Parts: sequence; C-alpha cells; structure tokens
Amino acid sequence: MSDRRLPRLLQTPAVLLLLVWMLVPLSMTLFFSFIRYVLNNTIRPEWTTPSLSNWRGFGNYEFVLNSKDFVLAIQNSLLIVCSILFLTVIFGVLIAVLINKSFPGQGIVRVLLISPFFVMPAVNAVLWINMILDPVLGLQGIAVAGINGIVDNLQTMPVLGGFFSLWPDFAPISFRATQTSAYAVIMMVTWQWTPFAVLIFMTSLQSEDQQQKEAAILDGAGLWSQFRFLTLPHLGRPIAIVVMIQAIFHLSLYAEIEIVSRGNGNKNLPYLIGEFANNNIGAASATGIFAVILANIVAIFLLRMIGKTLME
Amino acid sequence: MGRIVLDNVTKSFGETQVIPPLNLTIEDGEFAVFVGPSGCGKSTLLRMIAGLEDLTSGNIAIDDKVVTEVPPSKRGLAMVFQSYALYPHMTVRKNIGFPLRMEKMSQAEIDKRVETAAKSLNLTDYLDRKPGQLSGGQRQRVAIGRAIVRDPSAFLFDEPLSNLDAALRVGMRLEISEMHERMQTTMIYVTHDQVEAMTMADKIVVLQAGVIEQVGTPLDLYNKPQNLFVAGFIGSPRMNFTEGEEARKRGAHTIGIRPEHIDVVASGGVWNGKVGVAEHLGSDTFLHVHDTGLAETITVRAPGEVTMKYGDRISLAPREDLIHRFDAQGLRIG
Ligand SMILES: Nc1ncnc2c1ncn2[C@@H]1O[C@H](COP(=O)(O)OP(=O)(O)OP(=O)(O)O)[C@@H](O)[C@H]1O
Ligand SMILES: [Mg+2]
Repeated sequence: MSDRRLPRLLQTPAVLLLLVWMLVPLSMTLFFSFIRYVLNNTIRPEWTTPSLSNWRGFGNYEFVLNSKDFVLAIQNSLLIVCSILFLTVIFGVLIAVLINKSFPGQGIVRVLLISPFFVMPAVNAVLWINMILDPVLGLQGIAVAGINGIVDNLQTMPVLGGFFSLWPDFAPISFRATQTSAYAVIMMVTWQWTPFAVLIFMTSLQSEDQQQKEAAILDGAGLWSQFRFLTLPHLGRPIAIVVMIQAIFHLSLYAEIEIVSRGNGNKNLPYLIGEFANNNIGAASATGIFAVILANIVAIFLLRMIGKTLME
Repeated sequence: MGRIVLDNVTKSFGETQVIPPLNLTIEDGEFAVFVGPSGCGKSTLLRMIAGLEDLTSGNIAIDDKVVTEVPPSKRGLAMVFQSYALYPHMTVRKNIGFPLRMEKMSQAEIDKRVETAAKSLNLTDYLDRKPGQLSGGQRQRVAIGRAIVRDPSAFLFDEPLSNLDAALRVGMRLEISEMHERMQTTMIYVTHDQVEAMTMADKIVVLQAGVIEQVGTPLDLYNKPQNLFVAGFIGSPRMNFTEGEEARKRGAHTIGIRPEHIDVVASGGVWNGKVGVAEHLGSDTFLHVHDTGLAETITVRAPGEVTMKYGDRISLAPREDLIHRFDAQGLRIG
C-alpha cells in the first residue's frame, strides 16, 4: 500500500486543520463546562481565570438543568424548528406547484416570491414585529381596528344590527408577550424561508417527466391523483433536503428572538447560552454541550428518516 | 370494438400547420402502422387520437361516437410511450394496477387482473421491483401490461421499441404481433422503422409532412407504391431511381427498380458497370455498382455469397416487368 502514502501525506494538512478547527473549540467548551469560570466576581476573583483548580465536576450541568429556563429553551427550540419546517414545506409545495404553470407575468412573480430570502434576519424581525404584528401601529392593529369599526357600523343597522351586537370587540394580539412571542418568530422565519423551499421545489418540478403525467392522464388520474401519486413522490428528495438544511439553520436562531422579546418567555438554546455567557461561562459551556447533544439527536433522527429517501 | 375515424382533422402549433386536413379510417381489430420520416407528425397524430393534443379543426370518432371533446381517460384507449413513462416510485405491481385503482376497482379485482397481465408478459418475478431495477425490455413489458389491464378498445404505441437493442427489438416485435393476434384489438403503432412497419402491420399509413402519401397493406405498398416518396421509403435497401434516357425509353419521367429485382448476369445485361462497395450479409450481398452510364449508383441485392470485389466489371439485367414508372409529378404510371 506504499502507493497510498503520497496521497495520504498530501491530505494531512487539510485533515489536521479540520481536526484543530473542530476539536479545539469543542474541547475548550468541554473544559469550561467542568470548571467554575465567570467573567466578573468581586468576592471570588480566582473564578475569573479558567484553571483546573476551579474544578466543579458536573456542577455546571446540574445548575443548568435546574434553571427554570432550560426546559423552556429545549421545548421552544423544538417547537420553533418543527413548526417552521412544517409550514415552509407545506407553503413551499403549494406555491411551487401553483407557479409552475405558465401564466403572464411569471418572471416577475417568481422574482418577488424569492425576494424575502434576501432580507437580513434582523431586518426581517424588525419589520415584522413593528410594521406588521404591532397591536397598535402595525398592520395587525390597523386591520383589527378596521374590523371593529365595520362591526360597530353594522350594529346600528335596523334589522341585522341585533345579530351583530352579539359580536365581541376583537382585541389585537401582542406578539411581544410571553405566550405569543414564539409564534411571532415562527411567522417571520416561515415568511423568510418559504422562498428557499419554493426555489428548490420549483427546480425539481421542472425536471418532472411530462410523459409520466400524460400516461397518468390516460390512466384516468385527476389533478389530485397526479399530485398525490406523481408530483409528491417526485418531490420527496427535495423535501428531505429542505428539511435537513432548515433544521440545521433554525436550531441556531438568535436575532429574531432577541428582537421580538429579548428572550422574554421565548428562549431557545442558543439564546440561553447567550444569556449565561453574559457572566457565567461555565454554565454557558454546559448549555453548549447540551445543544451539541440535541443537535446530534436531531441529526441522527433526520438522517434515519431522510437518508433513506436520499439513497434511493 | 375499436373503429377509429379521423374526419378532416388538422393541427397547428401557432402559425405552423403540422397536419393539413387529414382523413383516415382504422377498422376494428386492425393493426395500423404510421410510418414516415422524423418530424412528419406521426406522434402528433397519435396524441390527437389519444386526446393529449387538441384538434385545431375536424373530428375524431371511436365506434361511431364523436370523441373530439371527450377527455383522454374516457376514450377507452391505452397508450404505450417511447420512454415507457412508468411511475418511478411505484412497484411494477402498483404501476400495472394504477389505471384500475383510478377506476376505483376493488383491491381483490385489481390483484387478480395484475397477476393475469403479469403472467402473460412474463413479469411475475418482477412484480415487487421498482422500474429503476428493471432492464429496458422488462420496462417495456410493464408499460404494455399497464395498457393491457384496462382492456381498452384500442392500443396506441408511440415508437415503443426504439430504446431497445436490435435483438430485443425483434423479440418484442414478435410479442406485440402475437398479442394482437390473440386479442384482436385495434392497434395503432407509430414507428420510423420500415421493417417494423412491414412485418407488423395489417395496414400501413405512410406520412410525409403531415400528409398521407399512401394507405395500404405492406405488400400493396411494396408492389404498387403510388408515388416516388412511398417507393423510396418502403423497402430495404432503398429502390434505385433514374431519370433521363432510360426512363424515357420506358415512357416515364422517372423509373425505379428494387435492388432485389436486378439480376447479375455473366454478360449482355442492360447496364454494365464496376462494383464499388460490396456488403456481405451472408444470406445476401448488396453490391453498389458505379459507372453504368446512369447518373446514380445502382444497388443490387444478389442472393447468397457473391465473390465479386471492388473494381470488378459487372453486367446487370433488371426484370422489366418489375420496373416502377413515375410521371413528372412523381405519381405512379400504370
Ligand atoms: N408542442 C409543439 N409546439 C410546436 N411544434 C411542435 C410541437 N410538437 C411537435 N411540433 C412539431 O410538429 C411536427 C411533428 O412532430 P411529431 O413529434 O409529431 O413528429 P414525429 O413524426 O413523431 O417525429 P419523430 O419520428 O422524430 O418522433 C414537428 O415539426 C415538430 O417540430
Ligand atoms: Mg414521434
């Protein structure tokens, strides 16, 4: 196998670089997660330097597990990622199938549809929370006020007024509140990432075999059956790709959460790490290790589920 | 059940008319073959019959019922595509059963019909495979199976064998012919391979640029081609044509003689020339003869093995009664 030696030798720098790249941060995180390490402490100044003498064992992990935000963060991470995946795939498929037919103005519509993807996440969040979802000044506030105005007018009508006076006044929803801020994040990220799904599904639809469609038409398949038995299976692989890429991206959402509610009632793991990292590096590192574990669980789960589709 | 009548049908794509007004009747149980050069509109015509392509004008009737406005699935026709058009995500069983499933037939009935079709096509061992795991010939059979289970009043084939290798093509050709003999269902078969046309057809329809040049049995077309195009298109190797003196002597503008109707004689033939390339097929030898005094090279089909080689002198005697004569418009005389 001596002929293998040269290629191996030539690969070594790249492999070493990759190892250093991954292993150094990971081992540093591991190390920090087992010691007491804070940025600022006037009573115990020795904790402000990372050193083995500050060994805490699993103390940081215990601290994180017992903090009330941790379970919320895990739940929220999963809720946000799963909802966004579900919504973007559904909207993506629907829109892609719709605009795949040729119609006048197709080019413009496609460009417009893709454009949300080019908005920066922070800008996207600011726009949504202030201009669309704001209960007073946003589109939501205006729309709710408008509907209430119409209902008020209808109540003064002679006959049907009695019926409309039974209607309650609609109250706008505040999306910065504890219970709702996660939904605001889901909405804005779905809006931003649906174009990505549309783009990928559209390319795939264009490679769909037209003769198969014609054969199906002759076989008596209606539009729904064609979609169900031909288009949807054809989209299996792109759906898998969209799910995989988005799962990786959305596990690390940060800007949207910061802007919508500063983590009020709505934290995910990266946000929690950020909060700990304001002072307690040890706890932040322990949370980071939890995040790595969660990401790996999700990855294994996805690969199991999706790998099969991709390998076909 | 399956008499198809095309009544003055035309088809235009935008400004270009691909099919000028065309009339054709295909009788019940007939095996009709559309042949013609590439781009002459064979597929378009077939797709119009299937309902996949709208007519620009005219009418199509199946069993005396006008179906011009009837959707494809309600015409009772089954089509086999050149690319097979199998559903890649379904097993062979599901593929064959798909049309029945769309008819909302009971699962037991579907299974029974699929088994029967699979048995008649030697597909029983492959029922649980996906199309991607089959050879070209097997895929073709699945496509045919999917057509058979519907029990259609006519089958439409669009160059179904052109993706297969030569040996397989001969085998499938026989299978389709046998299938026709057994079922006695109308079949319309599109091909640009005139050997397929000659061997399979009850009736050949020769098309050129959307126009029917001639309709007839294979031997009609071989023995009495109505014009130069049909004469040149049917028969292999191609018929020899010549104009000028030789034609005028026989009272025609152009004469044609098939390679197999020219005898090689020791001496005293009508045309004397030199052998060019000799193609040895074993059963026959095709000789390409130059310098006969005619403008064109003459192809001769000599039976068996011929020992002639490049540059040998040769004397040719055409069988006068088998010479085809055509007028200045290219139409047959006599
Ligand atoms: N959708 C279309 N739009 C415009 N022109 C078309 C369309 N489909 C076919 N044509 C034209 O119609 C003519 C006939 O096409 P068709 O596919 O019927 O030919 P064909 O006889 O089947 O040829 P081949 O043997 O190569 O399959 C061609 O000149 C082709 O360019
Ligand atoms: Mg064709």
